[in-house]
Amino acid sequence: MKILIANRGEIAVRIIRACREMRLRTVAVYSDCDRTARHVREADQAVHIGPSEAAQSYLRIDAIVEAARTTGADAIHPGYGFLAENAAFARACQDAHLIFIGPSADAIALMGSKTAARAVAVRAGVPVVPGTEQPLDENVGDDEIARIATSVGFPLLVKAVAGGGGKGMRTVDDAAALASAVRTARSEARSAFGDAAIYLERRLVRPRHIEIQLLGDHHGTVVPFVERECSIQRRHQKVVEESPSIAVSSELRRRIAAAAAAVARAVNYSNAGTIEFLVDESGSFYFLEMNTRLQVEHPVTEMVTRMDLVQWQIRIAMGEPLDIDPAEALSANGHAIECRIYAEDPDLGFMPSPGLIRGLRPASGPGVRDDGGVSVGYSVPVFYDSMIAKLVTWGQSRRQAIDRMSRALREYQVLGIKTTIPFFVWLMQQPAYMAGQYDTTYLDRLLVDRKGDSFSQLTAADEEVASIATALDAYLRATAHAGTPGAAESTTHWKRAARLEALRG
Amino acid sequence: MTFAVEINGRSRTISIEHATADRYRVIVDGHAQLIDAKRVGSFGLSLLFDGADRSSREVQVSPAGAPGEMLVGIDGKSVTVVLNGRRTGHATAEGGAHARGEQTVVAPMPGRVVRLLVTGGDEVIARQPIVVVEAMKMENELRSPKAGRVKEIVVKAGESVEAGRVLAVIE
Repeated sequence: MKILIANRGEIAVRIIRACREMRLRTVAVYSDCDRTARHVREADQAVHIGPSEAAQSYLRIDAIVEAARTTGADAIHPGYGFLAENAAFARACQDAHLIFIGPSADAIALMGSKTAARAVAVRAGVPVVPGTEQPLDENVGDDEIARIATSVGFPLLVKAVAGGGGKGMRTVDDAAALASAVRTARSEARSAFGDAAIYLERRLVRPRHIEIQLLGDHHGTVVPFVERECSIQRRHQKVVEESPSIAVSSELRRRIAAAAAAVARAVNYSNAGTIEFLVDESGSFYFLEMNTRLQVEHPVTEMVTRMDLVQWQIRIAMGEPLDIDPAEALSANGHAIECRIYAEDPDLGFMPSPGLIRGLRPASGPGVRDDGGVSVGYSVPVFYDSMIAKLVTWGQSRRQAIDRMSRALREYQVLGIKTTIPFFVWLMQQPAYMAGQYDTTYLDRLLVDRKGDSFSQLTAADEEVASIATALDAYLRATAHAGTPGAAESTTHWKRAARLEALRG
Repeated sequence: MTFAVEINGRSRTISIEHATADRYRVIVDGHAQLIDAKRVGSFGLSLLFDGADRSSREVQVSPAGAPGEMLVGIDGKSVTVVLNGRRTGHATAEGGAHARGEQTVVAPMPGRVVRLLVTGGDEVIARQPIVVVEAMKMENELRSPKAGRVKEIVVKAGESVEAGRVLAVIE
C-alpha cells in the first residue's frame, strides 16, 4: 500500500507520520522551491511536479495524477487547501483508479458550493444564517448587488461561493463600502478558487464560531465529535482553536452534533468533514458551511478524544467500518488549544516574513504537540500560506492548557524570520481570553485597541539582558572566543562584522 | 571593547572585558557586573549573572535582514537590536506618509502585482487603493500616501516584486 500526499508543509509531514505508523509507503510531491522541504525528505519517494507557483505545481491535477502513476501509488491524500476540496481532482483520481482519501466528488461539489450547502442544511432541518440563496456570479452588477444587500441587511459579509479559510471574504458595514468589498472578494476568489461567484450573508452580532468534526464510513455510519471553538480569528482567519468550547453545555453539544450529523447524512457523507456553525449569545446555532476535508485544527480534537483522525481517514478510504464509540467521540478528556504559528511579523501588521530559517527549537515536554513543517536551512517561500507550525497543548483543565501554551511558546525558538509567537505569548495573558469571554470579533477589536504597540515589549530588565547579550555576542565573535562552527554563509558574514567591531573597539 | 546597543529607541553603552575563563566584566552605562557567558549552538548565548540572584538567562542573537541589525530572542519575544548605530532605512507600506512633495507606493513584502487600480495622470485622494499585490495567498490593496496625481506607475500587472520595490509615484 502506497499513499501519495498531494500537499506540502506541516500537513504533508502530519500525513507522512500517520502513514509511517500504519506501515504504509509514502510519496511526496514538490515544487522548485520545496526541494529541501521536510515533507520531501521524510517521504519514501518524492516527485518534482513543477515551478514554485502553486498553479503550476500543487494545483496541477495532471502532474499529481501522473506522479501517482509513475510511483505506483494506490491512494492520494489531499491534505487541506490546494486541491483538497476540488471535485475535479477527486474525479481525476477515481478515473485513474486511485483511491481519493476524502469524500466523494459529488459531496465535495455539492457542499463546496456555499449556497447549495445552505439549501442542504435547510432541508435537513438545520437553521442557517440569513443571506442570499443563489450565487451572484460576475454578470450580477453592482446595482443589483446593492439592492440584494439592502434586503439582507447591514452589517453583512461578502463571501466566495467556492470559498474557505477566510479567503474571498469581506465584512461590509454600510452600502458605501459594498462595491469595493465585492471587487476584492471576487478577485481573491478567482485567484484562490478559480470562481468569482460570491454571496451575501447577514453578520450576526458577536457570535462564536463552533464547529463539529465528523467521520463517515462507506457503510452508512456517521460519528460527530466533541466541538471545536474557533472564535479567535484575525480578519476571518482562525489563529487559535480549542476543544471543548467553554460556551457549549453538554445539552447544546448533543443538539449541535445531531444537527451536524443530519447534514452529513443528507449527502451520504464519507471520510472526514467539518460542519461550521455560528452560535449567538442565546445559544441559538446557525449552519455556516461544511468543509469537506481534514482541517488545520484537527489536532485539538485528537488531543481530547485520543483518536487519530488521519489514520481513520485512511482506514475509511480502504473500506473499513468505523468502530468508534459515539459517546467517547462526543466527550472531551481534558482541554486542548492550538496556536497557528505563522512566518509573519505581528509588529508590522502581521506582514508575511518569508526567508531562511537559521535556527529552530520547537517546544516539547508534558502535554505539548508540535505539528511543524519546516527545518533549519529551509527558506520559507513567498508562494504559499505562511504557516510554519501548529503548537498544540493539552491540559486536564483549560487553565492548565493555557499555562502549558504560555510555557511552550517561551520554549519555542525560530531564528532568522519573524513569527507570530510573541503575539500568542501576549494573547495567552489577556484576561478576556483566559476567562473564555470572547467571540469572533474579539481579537480584531483587541488589536485595534492596541494601536500597533509591539508584542515584544520588554521589561527594562529584559531590555538590559538583551542589550548585554548582543554586545557579548559581538565581543565573542570579534575576539574569536566563539569557536563554534556556524553555517558557511553566516561565518563570512560574521567574520566581516567581527573585523569591523574589533576596529571600533 | 565598547558597543552602542539600541533597543526600541533606547541606547546603552556597553563595555566588555575578559575576566577569567568564561567570565566577562560587563559595564552598562557605568554599572559593572560579572557575567558567565557561554555560546550554545550558532546563535544561542547562556548568561549566568553573578549578582545576588544568580539569574540564568538564555538569549538568541541572530543576524536580522539589515547590516548592523540583530534579531534577539528572549523569553518568547523577538526584538530588533541595532549595534553601533548602523541602521538602514526601512521601506514601509505608507512610503513616508508625512513627507511632502513626491511620494511613493512601495511593496512592503515580496509578491505579485495582481491589478493596477489607477493609471498615470489620475487624480487620487489620500488612502485611495492604487495597486493590488498578492503575497502569500492574500490580496493586499496598497493605498496612496496622499492626495495628488499619479505621476507614474512603475510596474505591470502580473509582475513579481521584491520587498521595497517602488510600485507607483504620487505627486
